[in-house]
Formats: sequence, structure tokens, C-alpha cells
Amino acid sequence: MERLFKNASIARADSPELEKADVLVGDDGVIKEVGKDIAGDAVSDCAGCVLVPGMFDLHVHAREPGAEHKETLATCADAALNGGITGLVLMPDTSPPIDTGNLVKSLQDLVFEASPIPMLVAGCLTKRREGEKLAGFSGMANRGVVMLTDSDRTVPCPDLLRRCMEYARDFHLVVTSHCDTPALTKAGAVNEGRVSYQLGLPGIPAISQEIAIDRDIRVAQHTGAKLHLQQISTAHALRAISDAKATGTNVTCEVSPFHLLLSEDDIEDYNTAYKLDPPLRLPTDRDALLKGLLDDTVDAIATNHAPHTEFEKAADFASAPFGVAGLETAVLSLYDRFIKNGVFGWDLLIRKYSVAPREIVGQRPVAIQEGEKANFFVFDPEGETKVDAGYLKTKSHVSPFLGKALAGAIRETVLG
Amino acid sequence: MSTTSEITTEEILTPSGIEEKVAVLADGITNRCGDDDVAFVGVFTRGVTLARRVAEVLKKRGKEYPVGTLDISLYRDDFDRNGPDFPRLESSDIPFAIDGTRAILFDEVIFTGRTIRAALDGLMDYGRPRKIELAVLVDRGHRELPVQPDYVGQTIPTASNQYIQVRFQEDDGKEGVFLVTEFDHE
Amino acid sequence: MSDLQPRKDLLDIESLSLEEIEYVLNNAVPFKQLFQRSVKKVPTLRGKTVLNLFYEPSTRTSSSFEVAASRLSADVTNFAVGSSSVVKGESLLDTIETLQAMRSDYIVIRHKGAGVPGIVAKHTNASVLNAGDGYHAHPTQALLDAMTFREVCPDYAGKKVVIVGDILHSRVARSTSTLFHKLGIEVGVLGPGSLIPEGRHDFMQRLASWDDVFDWGPDAVYLLRVQLERQEGQFFPGIAEYHKMYGLNSGRLSQMRERGTWLMHPGPVNRGVEVTDEAMGYEKSLISTQVENGIAVRMAVLHWLKPETQQD
Repeated sequence: MERLFKNASIARADSPELEKADVLVGDDGVIKEVGKDIAGDAVSDCAGCVLVPGMFDLHVHAREPGAEHKETLATCADAALNGGITGLVLMPDTSPPIDTGNLVKSLQDLVFEASPIPMLVAGCLTKRREGEKLAGFSGMANRGVVMLTDSDRTVPCPDLLRRCMEYARDFHLVVTSHCDTPALTKAGAVNEGRVSYQLGLPGIPAISQEIAIDRDIRVAQHTGAKLHLQQISTAHALRAISDAKATGTNVTCEVSPFHLLLSEDDIEDYNTAYKLDPPLRLPTDRDALLKGLLDDTVDAIATNHAPHTEFEKAADFASAPFGVAGLETAVLSLYDRFIKNGVFGWDLLIRKYSVAPREIVGQRPVAIQEGEKANFFVFDPEGETKVDAGYLKTKSHVSPFLGKALAGAIRETVLG
Repeated sequence: MSTTSEITTEEILTPSGIEEKVAVLADGITNRCGDDDVAFVGVFTRGVTLARRVAEVLKKRGKEYPVGTLDISLYRDDFDRNGPDFPRLESSDIPFAIDGTRAILFDEVIFTGRTIRAALDGLMDYGRPRKIELAVLVDRGHRELPVQPDYVGQTIPTASNQYIQVRFQEDDGKEGVFLVTEFDHE
Repeated sequence: MSDLQPRKDLLDIESLSLEEIEYVLNNAVPFKQLFQRSVKKVPTLRGKTVLNLFYEPSTRTSSSFEVAASRLSADVTNFAVGSSSVVKGESLLDTIETLQAMRSDYIVIRHKGAGVPGIVAKHTNASVLNAGDGYHAHPTQALLDAMTFREVCPDYAGKKVVIVGDILHSRVARSTSTLFHKLGIEVGVLGPGSLIPEGRHDFMQRLASWDDVFDWGPDAVYLLRVQLERQEGQFFPGIAEYHKMYGLNSGRLSQMRERGTWLMHPGPVNRGVEVTDEAMGYEKSLISTQVENGIAVRMAVLHWLKPETQQD
């Protein structure tokens, strides 16, 4: 069935200005026409609304197979669409971990059954993510994995990491690192410093991430492999990445909306919804990350959607698992804080959360133009979204934004 | 429905009236205690003042009795019901052995008898007097427990909307016994 | 007229107003005087129940709470954590549900997880008394320390106390220093750099050595217990070196004696590590007073807190 989106404002990656236009989507799901005064049936009046190209999240734990009580591919897809996200990369830290071509194929089959959006598969760097032996790169590459990573486990041995990168290079696969030094992180729960002292919680020092980043960048420079760094959290880490880029290193990085919006000062009342990996850092780090996003040191936004049950997160702060649901609050929270207040425009969000992440994993960016498949969401800037059980589609109702109202509302996500 | 209340205060005893009643208590104690080993224990705060005043009168008559103080907050039976009230505890101070004595408890007014019940519990945690008696400046009636004073300055019958205010110079900066009446108008 | 508001739980020192602190410390004095009587018990909490829930072993603190509760005539139940399901991975929420069903009026809890007493407090009508959570807080210890220090220094504002030892892993250091600071007492810290965190309170002045300490001129020296099992080799090379650098040896003790400096320690003491045997007999040691005041302060806290168990 044809659908006509009347009187919309269209957001694009290359311009901060919104274009007033109608958008006609054909019954084949392809955008037939973008222009003025288009007539048609099945009209959605989009006056005041913004049509935004679908976002793409590089960093998602959908928990299937193995931990379906936390999330499934189906609930994850629902959550993604609810949050304006039309594609994502699945982390391989499932049970079993995705470390062979056959497992990649099995997961792709599950995705095909469960998800209306592309969920690309990342494979493990090492067998069972144990950090000892290389996983089967070629089999996984043949099945179409888009990156190799041991997810939140950093490959401990620099020699093994080097061999991983050398080997991955031949398959043109990006090596992705979560950047953590376990010997420094230990049983830490929050950023080490004033807040960890006052809360009496074991701290995770900034150097835990920074040392790992320095090491991984050097190994990437040495091997010439393509490196993607996840969840950058400190100003120093950002400087190291900026320096590496300046010398031509093939490195990209992501930050999460949480680290752009929050700092350790926001942790209230031992609320485990603020227990993230890496931890929320200083306000100065948060501000540096925003600056890095604006000056292109930061390539992409990625949520690290890491659902856990409310029950699991109801443990005490030190014992509770790291991570929270992120897919459904990413666009809204960034709009609420930044776009609405003119800190940056939709164009930047599209570049960082729709275009760049697709490019990092070799996907073609999406745009709202004639001949393209419909892949956008309808955003109402005047709306308001209460983050609660009525809104969330993820199984994990754990979020720093839970119970809060965010400006703007995603009316629907349109997929051709 | 709104109620307004009106309060009237009537002076029952003047400072000199109080002095007279203190003398009445002293007389009673002299008559009945003879040469017994007597100890005074005042219930914090005005009971202590009363005990000291009676002791003062008796001292002039050549009888010297020790005066101890007792804070009964911890012995009250309405601990749960005092709501957002925070009793500031005082140190009970009974710096003499009360075992075997004829202990006389002092309080300024006896009403339901509950305060005295608590004071008896408190006193007996300090030892075992041979006998315990009770002296009050005013008995206003309305007992809820079978407790009766042995020495009374004055009996003042009261209605349910009335209460007795005893004010001592040392504790309150003014002196007198007042009958307070509250009238509610709808 | 009092500005005190009813308070259900005692979780930390930070949230206490100066008026509340004064209230508890002043009320603790008459409680302590009860200990002079042959009958040390008062009937105030008759019919009330106190649940002692210790996830970390601590005979001293749990006994102190037990004695305090008994002297208020409350019934005390010691929830034996070792033999109950809490060690079998029963979740915190399940445990709380069990506790709530027991309808205790007061729950005294010690747990290795910082913030756990707060979570329990949120989910129960009972008054929750934090008896130590992780490295976070130990508020009754702080109150008994303040009571003890005030007894010997009635004009305590502007006085100085140096805390010696592991500031990083000490909930005692956190709570006691915060309370001292609120009372206007200056706080210095002495210990190995690896145990004096950068993120500590701004008011904690770092002193480099015992010489510095004596130059600074504290009115009391507060020694923390060295957690040998946790720290040796990790944060300092060994006991002998710790004792040499930071321990209270006889030379330092005689300097304290000359200056009339008081000695405090939360106990239990590691003889030969943070103190020598000799220091245990020091005439200005307040260690036993701290134990006695611990009972008085805990009685005052139990008397002060208002459980919400009465309503339903």
C-alpha cells in the first residue's frame, strides 16, 4: 500500500537545515517521490514532524542464544524500531559465543526468523572468547561477519592480539576492542576517584581504559589492521585516538549516549542503572567526549545495549552486572539534551549514528530520497516520551532514564 | 466544619499560696516519717523543684534529706505514640543508696497515675526501698491506674476540658498554679 | 521547639543534620549512666524486635548492638547468615522479602556491598541501622567515636584528630572523619600513599610522617585496624615495614604521653602491627571507653529512630 507523508521536514546528513517536503512511499516500500504538494491516499500528516534516516547501532547485546530471559532477537528488534534504529551489529558474547562459521550461520538464521531489521553478526577473535587461541576467522568471514571482537573481554596477551590483527587484515575485517585492563579494573564498579571514595565502592581507574587503548592502537599501527574502539570514556583516551588518526592509523571509535550525557556525579542512591562498562567518568571527560563528537575525533555513536533483568540489576551496586538497555533512549536522550538545545543538529546525529556506523561495517548508508527503500522514522519534536513500561519494548526495564520524561517522540519507524 | 477554641486561665495558687502548700507537704512528712531513713526523689523537671523546696523547708526544721532526680522518659508506656516528638533525655541522678529507705517520690501534679507508674518502675531499677510514698502539689483527679498520693498540697477537681499548669520560678521563670480551660465553639 | 523530623533509618553520616547528631550524642549520655546501676535495663522498647543481620562476621559490633537492644528490653534475633540461604546465592530482594515478613521493628545490617542497607531500608518498614557496608559507612562507629572524643574534649571545635592507616578501604575512616568534620574537628590522615586515595574528602589533610603528625599537634591519634589478609604485599611490603613507618611504637607513644595525646582505635587491635603491646596500657587510651560508648550510642540510636512498623 502506498503511503504519503505530508508536510514533513526531512533531515539529512549533509545539511543542518531541514527540507520541507512530502514523501511518497510506494507499495514496494521504495520512496517514489520527495517533493512539494504530492497528492495521494493513506496520508500521514507530518506537519511539525521530522523524518530522520534510520539509525544503526554498532554495539548491541541481544542475548540470544543463551540468555533469552534478558532479551531475545525479537524483543531487541522491537526495541530498536521503537528507538528509530533500523540496523545493528550483534556482539558475539552469547552462549555459546559466536566463534565459528556454523555458529554465525545459525545466528543469521535466527535473525532471519525473528527480526525485520538487519542484525549483522560480529564474530569472536579467540575461541570461546577465552583469549588463548584464534577463532575460525575464514569460516566466519565466509558467512559474512562484519567485525571480530571478544566483546567486553580484552585479548590479554599482546602477542595474541598482534596475531589476531595480522590474520584479520587479510579478510579486511575490522578488529573491535572494548579496551579494558583487567588487572587494573579488578572488581571495580564505578570510576575511581571522588565518587568511588564517597560511595565506598571499588574504583575503576581511567588508566584501565587508556592503557588498553594505547596498546591496541600501537598493535594496529604495527600490523596495519583496521581497529574499532568501543565505548570511549575519558578525555585522555580521546587524545590518544586523535593523535593516532593524525598519523594515519586506521582506527575508528564510538561513544555511548550515556557517556555523552552523564558523569559519575549523576550516580544517585546506588542506582545500578548507572553501572556501566566503562564507568561514567568525570564531567570534564563527558564534555571532552561531546567535543570529540563535534570535531570528528569520535566516529560513531553506539549504545552498548546490554539488557539485564530488573531482578539481576536489583543486586547491590558492586555485585550487579554492568550495562543497561540503550536502544530506545539513544535518539530521544540526545535530542532532549543536544538537538533541542541547538548544541548540534540532526545532520550530526545522522552522520554519527546512521552513516558512519554503517560505513565502519561496510554497509551502504540510507537516505530519504527517490529510489531508495524507505528507512526512516517520524519524529515529533513537540511530543514527549515517558520512559516506562508503557514505552519500552526491551525486556530490560533498566535505564538511567527510567521514569523520566524525554522531549520528543518517535511516532513510527518506516521500513521498505 | 471549623472549630475555634478559646482558652481561659484562672490562677488557683499565688506564689505565697504555693509556699503554704509546700509547708503543708513538709508538715505531713514530718508527722508521718519521724526518724525514718527518708530519701526524696523528684520526677524530672518540676517534681525535682518541688522535692528541693520541701527539703529546704525541712532543713530549716533540722531534718536533712537527700534529693535525687529521675527522668522517666524511658519508662513511659506511650513510647510508640509520641509521634514526631523527640524526648531529650536527662540523666537520672540518685547519688545515694535507696535500698531500705523510705523513698518519697515528688511530682507537681497527679492526673492519670501513668507518670507515677513509670516512676515506680524507674525508681525500683535503682534499688529496693523499704517503702515508697508519693507527694504531689496538686491532685486533679481522673485516675486511670490505682495510684494514690500520700501527701497532697491541694486537691483541685477538674473537668475533661481543663488542666492544671504548675509554674516554678526556677524552671519556668514565673510562679503560680493555674487552671486552664479550653472551650470549643463550632 | 525542636526541628527534628522523624527518621526511619540510619544509613550514613552525610545525611545527618547537626541537630540530629547533637540529639543522639546528648541522649547517649543518660544511657551511659544507666550502666552504673545494678539494673542496667530500661523497658523502653519492650515488645519490639531487633534483627541482627551480619553478612560479614563481627562479634564486637553485633554484640554491641545486641547488648544495646537488650538494655532497652527489645527482643533480639541474630539472623545466622552462615547457616541461612543468603550464602547460597539468594538474592537481596528475596532476603528483604523474608525480613519484611518477619516484621522486625529494627534491622541491624552489615554487608560487604556498599549501599545494601539503603536498599533494604527502601523495601522494609523496619528501621534499618547500618552496621557497616563495604567501604562506605559505619555511622554508629562514628557516633561512638564522637561521643568518646567529646567526653575528653568538651570544647571539641577546632581540635585535631589524625587518622592513621588504610583510608582507602575503611568505612570507619569515611564515617568518623565526616562526623568529626561536621563537628568542627580538624582531620589529618597518615598512611602509605597506596592507601590514601586521591578522591578522599578535601578536609582530610595528608601528613607525611609521624614527625609531621607531632608538628601538626593532634589532640587524639585514631589508629585504624590493618587488614593484614587484604593488604600485605599488595599495598605495602610487609608488617615489619608498616609497623616501622606507621605503627605506634614506644618512641611515638612517649611523644604522645608528653603531649597528652589521646589514643583511639575501632578494634580489634592487631598488637605488633598498628600498635605495640605497650600502647595497650597507655593511660590516655580511649579504646575501652569507645566500646562502652558504643552501647550507649546504639541505645540512643534505637531510641531515636522511628520504624514504620506500627501503622500496618
